[in-house]
Amino acid sequence: MNKIAKLFITSISAITLALVSFTSSFAKVEGDYIVLGSAISLTGKYSSNGVHTQNGYNMAVDRINKMGGVEVQGKKYKFEIIYYDDESNPKRAAQLAERLIKQDGVHYMLGPYSSGLTKAIAPVTEKYKIPMVEANGASRSLFTKGYKYLFAVLSPANQYLEVAIDLAVEKNGGKGVKIAQAFEQDAFSQDVRLGILDAAKRTGSEIIIDDKLPKELNDMAATLAKVKATKPDVLVVSGHTKGALTAIRQISEMKVDVPMLAMTHCDAAKLSKQHGKKSEYALCASQWHKNLSYKDKFFGSGKKYAKDFQKEFGYDPPYQSAESSAALLVFKDAFERANSFDRDAVRDALVDTEMQTFYGNIKFGPGGQNVAKPMILFQVRCKGDDCENRVVAPTKWASDKFYHPIPKWSERS
Amino acid sequence: MNKVKQKDLILYSGLIILGLAAPYLFSAFKVQLTYLCVLIVLAMTWNLQGGEMGYNTFGNILFYGLGMYLTASVQVGMFFPLAEWTESGGEKTFVHTTAQYFQGIGVGLLVSAIVPAIVAGAIGYAILGLRGHYFAICTLGLGIAAGEIAGGIEIIGAGQGFTTPPFPAEIVDTEARGKFFYFLSFALLIGTFVFVKYIYGSRFRLILNAIRDNEDKAEAMGIQTMKYKIVGWMCSAFFCGLAGGIMGGLIGYIDSTDVAFDGREMGVFMVLMAILGGKGTLWGPVIGATLFHFFKEGLWTLILGWQYVALGVLIVVIVVYFPEGLMGWLREKYPERFGEVIDDKDRKAQVELK
Repeated sequence: MNKIAKLFITSISAITLALVSFTSSFAKVEGDYIVLGSAISLTGKYSSNGVHTQNGYNMAVDRINKMGGVEVQGKKYKFEIIYYDDESNPKRAAQLAERLIKQDGVHYMLGPYSSGLTKAIAPVTEKYKIPMVEANGASRSLFTKGYKYLFAVLSPANQYLEVAIDLAVEKNGGKGVKIAQAFEQDAFSQDVRLGILDAAKRTGSEIIIDDKLPKELNDMAATLAKVKATKPDVLVVSGHTKGALTAIRQISEMKVDVPMLAMTHCDAAKLSKQHGKKSEYALCASQWHKNLSYKDKFFGSGKKYAKDFQKEFGYDPPYQSAESSAALLVFKDAFERANSFDRDAVRDALVDTEMQTFYGNIKFGPGGQNVAKPMILFQVRCKGDDCENRVVAPTKWASDKFYHPIPKWSERS
Repeated sequence: MNKVKQKDLILYSGLIILGLAAPYLFSAFKVQLTYLCVLIVLAMTWNLQGGEMGYNTFGNILFYGLGMYLTASVQVGMFFPLAEWTESGGEKTFVHTTAQYFQGIGVGLLVSAIVPAIVAGAIGYAILGLRGHYFAICTLGLGIAAGEIAGGIEIIGAGQGFTTPPFPAEIVDTEARGKFFYFLSFALLIGTFVFVKYIYGSRFRLILNAIRDNEDKAEAMGIQTMKYKIVGWMCSAFFCGLAGGIMGGLIGYIDSTDVAFDGREMGVFMVLMAILGGKGTLWGPVIGATLFHFFKEGLWTLILGWQYVALGVLIVVIVVYFPEGLMGWLREKYPERFGEVIDDKDRKAQVELK
């Protein structure tokens, strides 16, 4: 036993030494680089959206660095991001945020993907007073906590599909509609649900099916069977990328006829490519669409951004990428206005942000959410086998008329 | 005998001093050190079933998650209406005073130790009659079911998750929170270790081993195996619940399947760590958990996106090359150092046989 004990003590002291030599942390600004940190989901259930987010960040970093970088006190700096994989797990995300701040010495953070992970990270950044600009945490409860260092470039989750209910009521001649809804048990989707509940109350609509679906949504046949039986006016589904794919797959397999189908994450799921004509007429909430006419000097218009993104990563940018790119533009703007690397000065500059980017206008409300940008709805429409997303609401941006009701499966070719 | 004890004394006091000094020496690593303590506790308690009793349980994660939810619920519920705290994903904000925070977490931890132990007793009574694979599969179901059920209970946040009370803002020192949770988990580690070491010197362990080696024979000897199996599991649940309670406070956000009833990660890790170090030994789980944690924290980030592949390879390597774990491997290589006397003739005979 004593030999073992010795061995144990030796190894512990070796580890100790190794640790001590690693503790020397980096500085927030190293040479010509401003170091940002981000925990991002590269594996696990959010991995596809995590990669969209990371691509958005990287695209903006490259672009800003190429176009001269960030000018602070007369000196040009470049952005650099330290990434860790949070494995789509809030526990891991909180731990990595701590690691980025304490060990890597990061003083400015970019958000992770999804509301749940942002909820886990926000208390950490708040504790250490680290400004975090996040682009993918939309849960309303993030903005009622009085967080001072959290800034979101996107609209809160409850606004995602409220407009869809309004549209349905309008098509129903102003009378309340029957709503069937199914949401994943996750922070974001449940928040979308809260928005629908509000909208239903406001419009006098009735919710006839209210299902909760498990995470990593692969089957919702039970809900769809009920929909077939009860014939609601609107079916609302939200469950990140997998939810969108599952819904379309099973609706088409089971030939569920419903006059209106509203969803989230259609473009992240590349719905119009993956399911083609089966996904036609689906109505999708989106933070951004390339056809909107916002502009900035880094990416030009949304269309230009989409083209460059396509060239770089080989697919059409979903809004998750666009909003992530916008987060970097916000940081650059704030650094330049603060003209300092002092965290509180940067934080104060972020509070005063009022700018237009290719992604939309950005101005932060008292809770940190973006109040200057409306949500949009698009509808998948097909010409032959070629499907694309067309903006149908709000009317200011609409390029197409909203098609209602969805034809029955027996009438669809 | 006395000499060995003195060596032990040096070892233990050395480790305790190291443990107490660690958050000051490696200030930036406090959270990881807290994780390490909790991981060791989980591995040691798993070892009581998997190693000593021969019952491979995947259900200990149930007690861990239960402890997490209980601590947070009690901490909130003692001072504020819990339903309002978690409503709509926790939109309303209530603020704990410093005294409320610590009172809450104290009582919460107490509850999170006792209730999981009682639950373990009740479930154990029902399912500890199962043996071998049947028991393993049954317990695997426990964690998954608990996660799904918790995800549907509105009062603890359901799918939206449960934000645990933030550390009191009146304490300005940003290091205080890290230190608090570290020392809490370190105290738990010492408590668990002392308890497990006590069991190792007791008749109780011999009974557990008898159950592992031949349960029918043990019963024939007049041992009430069911009673001991249940008590053993309740002991594990007691410490797992505490570990969960501490982790909930540290993470700050409880999600039903990803944080609390996290069978896919924590549930597998505790088994892996115990096997890596050597199940059925006192130090095996400690060493296994330490090595695993260093491996994970050190290499994980170097192989972004491939870490679970690496983990899979690690599991295969452990199972194929170190089926008895590191301690078992060392014991086979250097039996003298473990106090086993091997006859020289015997060894020669073995060599000839090969």
